[in-house]
Amino acid sequence: MRVLIAFFTLTLLGLPPGSSLAGPPVPGISEISGTIRGGEARVRFTLRNAFTPEMVEALKSGIEISFKITVEVERVYRRWFNRPMGQVRYTRSVRYDALSRVYRLHRDDGDELLADVLAALDRMTRFEVVVPVTGGVEKGKPYRARVRARLDKVGLSEPLRSIFFFSSLWDVETDWARGNLQAP
Amino acid sequence: MTAPPVGQPAPSMGAEHAKLRRERWAIGIVAVLVAALTFFEAHLAAVGGAVTFSSNIVIFALINLNVVFVVLLIFLVTRNVFKILLDRRRNLLGAKLRSRLVLIFICFSLIPTMLLFIAATNITTTSIKSWIGGRVGQALTGAIDIARERLEEEARALSPAAESAAAGLLGTVDPASFPRVLESSRSLAPAGTALLFFEKDAEVARDGEVPPAVRAEVLTRIKAVNGDGDAKGTLIGDEFAAAWRRTPGGVIVVAVRSLPPAEAARIREITKAYDEYHQVRLLDDPIRASYVGILILITLLIVFSASWMGIYLARQITVPVQLLAEGTEEVARGNLDVSLDYRSRDEFGTLVASFNRMTADLKAMKGNLEETNASLTRTYDELRRRTQFIETILDSISTGVIVIDRHGRIAMINKVAERLLRIHTDGAVGRMYREVLREEHYEAIRSLYREAGEAAGGQVERQVELVVGETRIAFRVSLTALRDDAGEYMGLVAAFDDLSQTMRLQRVLAWREVARRIAHDIRNPLTPIQLSTERMQRKYAAVHAEDPVFAECTEAILSEVNTLKHLVDEFTRFARMPVPRVEEGDLPVEIRTVVETYRTSHPGIRWEFRQEGPPRLWFDPVQIRRAVTNLLDNAAAALGERGSVTVTCTHDESAGRARIDVADDGPGIPLGDRGRLFEPYFSRREGGTGLGLAIVSAIANDHGGTVRMRDNTPRGTVFEIEFPAHPPAMEKTGSMAPVIDDGGREI
Repeated sequence: MRVLIAFFTLTLLGLPPGSSLAGPPVPGISEISGTIRGGEARVRFTLRNAFTPEMVEALKSGIEISFKITVEVERVYRRWFNRPMGQVRYTRSVRYDALSRVYRLHRDDGDELLADVLAALDRMTRFEVVVPVTGGVEKGKPYRARVRARLDKVGLSEPLRSIFFFSSLWDVETDWARGNLQAP
Repeated sequence: MTAPPVGQPAPSMGAEHAKLRRERWAIGIVAVLVAALTFFEAHLAAVGGAVTFSSNIVIFALINLNVVFVVLLIFLVTRNVFKILLDRRRNLLGAKLRSRLVLIFICFSLIPTMLLFIAATNITTTSIKSWIGGRVGQALTGAIDIARERLEEEARALSPAAESAAAGLLGTVDPASFPRVLESSRSLAPAGTALLFFEKDAEVARDGEVPPAVRAEVLTRIKAVNGDGDAKGTLIGDEFAAAWRRTPGGVIVVAVRSLPPAEAARIREITKAYDEYHQVRLLDDPIRASYVGILILITLLIVFSASWMGIYLARQITVPVQLLAEGTEEVARGNLDVSLDYRSRDEFGTLVASFNRMTADLKAMKGNLEETNASLTRTYDELRRRTQFIETILDSISTGVIVIDRHGRIAMINKVAERLLRIHTDGAVGRMYREVLREEHYEAIRSLYREAGEAAGGQVERQVELVVGETRIAFRVSLTALRDDAGEYMGLVAAFDDLSQTMRLQRVLAWREVARRIAHDIRNPLTPIQLSTERMQRKYAAVHAEDPVFAECTEAILSEVNTLKHLVDEFTRFARMPVPRVEEGDLPVEIRTVVETYRTSHPGIRWEFRQEGPPRLWFDPVQIRRAVTNLLDNAAAALGERGSVTVTCTHDESAGRARIDVADDGPGIPLGDRGRLFEPYFSRREGGTGLGLAIVSAIANDHGGTVRMRDNTPRGTVFEIEFPAHPPAMEKTGSMAPVIDDGGREI
């Protein structure tokens, strides 16, 4: 038993120290803006550092990459709890069609074909999401949008899916980002 | 004492067995679970297809469970291996064999498994590398290029129809004209071609059948066409080929042809293979790592399963061996209640069952032996008791008895025989009588044995004289040959009776009779002789006054007459020894009186008197004084005018015996004279009557005691008179006391 404990201790000590300190740029949500009016809020934001070079290469190799976006809208109170007004989960994916040599962007409202990877990446990182809200919207009052994005799935081909079923090739997930909405 | 049976004995050992059994089950179940979970997880992807979040949780749970089980398996196996090593270090029974077996199993599993692992890893790596780095990529790229060219060509073939329809719509967007245009363009289109008109991303007219999926794909493609005004192009997909033309009026004419299903399937396969190829090429390292990980997992599973199997099989072998060893040790310690608790259908089970039967048989045999032994012990005790009884009888009689078995070994000899024949050899019993007896005695017995063989009844009795020590002693030897009921010779019994005492008594009685007659015959004429001689002196002294012869002769006659009277008195006293009148008195006082008399009469001799024990005891003072006087008289005669005499009076109250020792440092008594020392009229002293020691012997005997003679240290002689201190049961008057020489033998 003592030998086992020593073994596990040495194993833990043998881990490379600070391995998580110097990593790639952290993905995040920025430039959150929008308006809330009537029964909906229109939220715009940009997904930064979501695609690593490996992911871009995977995209070019025909691997489908999908992001799931969660957008929440809430009324902000200064001395009370914020009030949730609406939430939308939105999925956007992109896949390269080697036969027709186009990037097929799939959105909830339909597909879009893009000729090159830069256009595809641009479309995958710029969002404008409409969030249905409940409750009245008062002019000039503070409203806020909370956005989080994470890599939903990586569409591997069938044989590879059986190999990497239990592992995530890339782990992309942003923290919750907040931005104020205009209530004109 | 009953020891607990080996195998189910001590609670700790039973608990250990239960623990081992539980571990065995745990290892088995964990190994099965690991294998099942691995199989299930490996096939879940193929079965599941699109996996939901909850399924992911299940999968991760299964993975973690699998890992936990693998760790548990490693822990259990490692623990068992360490335990075996620890047992080996403690030199526990069977630990070495077990560790050796486990090591062999591990080696036999580890070496091929590692070789297989290395080979599989190399093959996997090589296969992946050759697949992604070789001509497969080129072939797939070429295949997809060909498919693309094929579709492009197909699309270009549709361009005339699209151009024609667009030309027909030139300048008009009137929907009413669409059927006419479609009708006119149909002839230009290849068979199976459909014409579609789109305006503002919506289908406004169609000629021909198009699958909905193809139509939706075409619409998506059309939406991606940017710009206004006159434009044209082609569209290809894995199910269709199309050519389009936008009219200045904004209507997009599409001539689309769906591929035959087989062709579409081939193109999809090519596209799929192309995608897979690129994905594999991209994920080369993770794929290899994944395969290696799976191989490592399988290798560990095999190795640890084999290790556990080794432990299990080793235990299957060593446990019964250990039980047998412990059981044998218990049996060696004498515990036959051992019962091994081990059940198996293999040879070890048979062996253990045989061991249990053997111990049970041994126990039964031991019980029988113990019963037999007890019976033999009882018989032996009875025999010994009888033998002791016989020995006691033999020791209590005055006859020396020697029993000799058929082999010539002494089977029994009593103390009288040892004393008579002076056998001082310890452990004479069991030895050859030829070795034990002196040559003369042996020859005498041999001679008598021969006579007994010829005599009727096998018995002979003879009087023989044997030399014992320095003395020739007469024995009556009775020799009887022993035979069993079948007449077989079993040995012989030799009985020795010392006749010297009897003969001496006979001689003493004879001498007493002689003395009485001599005294009677001599005493009578002595008085007339004396009176006559005195008368002659009175009557004729004056006549022969000048002749001295007369006076000398008559004086000589008177002197000799007096001497003869004294001799006659001694004879009379010896012949008529009175019965002792035993009374309680002070023995030291009586003896001291005698000693003081001699101290006065013999001043040149140093007389010493010692006393030990209480003084008062029962004796005849007159006879004891006389006996001591005789001994002191002999001592003074032996010493002359110089020397020392020590008289010791001892009373052992616990033994009830009194002893008088008279020791001198004179010249001693020659060995040849010792046999006749106490006989009457035997004397080496000039003028001695030879009756002194005979009288001492008679007095001692009359007191129920003995008289002995032994050499004094460093020189001289010691006479010991020993008699009971209480009133003795008097024997008949006139008997002689047993006289014992310095060897303890009666003489």
